[in-house]
Amino acid sequence: MRATEQIMPPMRVVVTGVGALTPMGEGADALVTGLETGRSAVRFLDVPWSGRLNSALAAPVLTPVESRFTKLRRLTLDRVAQLALLAGQEAIAQSGLELSGAAGLTCGLFWGTGMGGATTLEQAYQESLLDASARPRPTTIVAFMANGSTGQLGIEHQIRGPSFTYSSACSSSAVAIGEAFLAVRHGRVKTALAGGSEALLTLGVMKAWESLHTLAKPDDQDPSTSCRPFARDRSGFVLGEGAAAIVLESEASARERGATILAELVGYGNTTDAGHITQPDAGGQARAIQEALTMAGVRPDQVNAINAHGTGTLVGDVVETRAIKAVFGENASRIPISATKALHGHLMGASGAVELVVCLGALRRGIVPPTAHCFHPDPECDLDYVIEGARAVPNLDVMMSNSFGFGGNNAVLVARRYR
Amino acid sequence: MLVEEFGLTTDQVQPDSKLEELGVDSLATVEFMFMLEDRFHLKMTGEPVPIKTVGDIAHEVDVMVAQQGINLGDVS
Repeated sequence: MRATEQIMPPMRVVVTGVGALTPMGEGADALVTGLETGRSAVRFLDVPWSGRLNSALAAPVLTPVESRFTKLRRLTLDRVAQLALLAGQEAIAQSGLELSGAAGLTCGLFWGTGMGGATTLEQAYQESLLDASARPRPTTIVAFMANGSTGQLGIEHQIRGPSFTYSSACSSSAVAIGEAFLAVRHGRVKTALAGGSEALLTLGVMKAWESLHTLAKPDDQDPSTSCRPFARDRSGFVLGEGAAAIVLESEASARERGATILAELVGYGNTTDAGHITQPDAGGQARAIQEALTMAGVRPDQVNAINAHGTGTLVGDVVETRAIKAVFGENASRIPISATKALHGHLMGASGAVELVVCLGALRRGIVPPTAHCFHPDPECDLDYVIEGARAVPNLDVMMSNSFGFGGNNAVLVARRYR
Repeated sequence: MLVEEFGLTTDQVQPDSKLEELGVDSLATVEFMFMLEDRFHLKMTGEPVPIKTVGDIAHEVDVMVAQQGINLGDVS
């Protein structure tokens, strides 16, 4: 009988591996500790086409990613899949999972990306549209397709259970992790590799974002401080790239393997605003937060910290503040809220996974990262955004991570220290 | 070119070396055929040709070069 045909009570879902390759550096630890120091990864891109942008401000991954793969392997790997594979390797290695045998059959793959292989697609368009005799490389399709990273991760680790690719803009990888959580919780899979990757720092994509007028205006004095979530002078976000992955499994599976349990994932909420394609809605966000809390069996007064979506847009930060207040009521003002995009940039489809890894690091270390660059707080955003720098939080036990995407999707994850 | 483009070693690239064993799958083979066309100004027929070894590729190029009257000395 397949696992899905059995009726069983929900299982506890634990995290046994994490991986991240972000603008903060290589590895989950570099991300977590880098944020604590308040170091910004935002800079001007050093690329030949930077002059064609209004501003080449971005948060790039500086790790020499390409050199980790042979030329032959790179034929089918867009940068987005290279980032995915490196983050996935770290997470799988930490978990100690060996999936080449039967264990691979009961492992699922849940991956999120906003744009898939943007570099490959843009190159193919450039060649094809500018030169009538040009032809895209034969591997173009497999490198840019949205599920390219998912398929490559499956091949790399021999994950042969169900696989899913989620694309809901900025919440893509939070959805991927949430759905992986549900699949493990209800016995569809025994283990899961979940997360997301994004690599869209290309001329065409950056120009398109510029047209939308959501990107931060570069600060004259210190461009690395340009993204200022919850500040009065905030002007938008900075595009970033990277990947993060986590290994989820049932508590029973982890114990049976003798794996080190890093944390427990306890709640997931997912709602749709059904209002506007870009304007966020506090009601939709609040419903997702409430749903996640209900599933987690956690009361509002039991949440010790929140990693906000906190992009630094004028509307977004106010709406999120309202959503948090709507759910947490009088508790809202005593919860430390971190908006880490100020430092690592907005990794779009990879954001949710990256920020959950940040939460898991915070739970492990008992330290929440700061909301950097909030030099001039906005009276309309009047909660505790940890603007003074990283903060030790005694008894840090439960953390929530918010991810809200264009299209009106809201995904909220709740993690708890394992005990 | 297999050494240059795919990072293989000269020891690996022998006439009877099986492409599959070198990690050169069908997609990589098509990619390589495109590279050959560009380098030697060839036009492959598009007809399916059984290519299993490095030697098969060399043979296919020889046939095309002969059919299309290409002087390899002119190829930069």
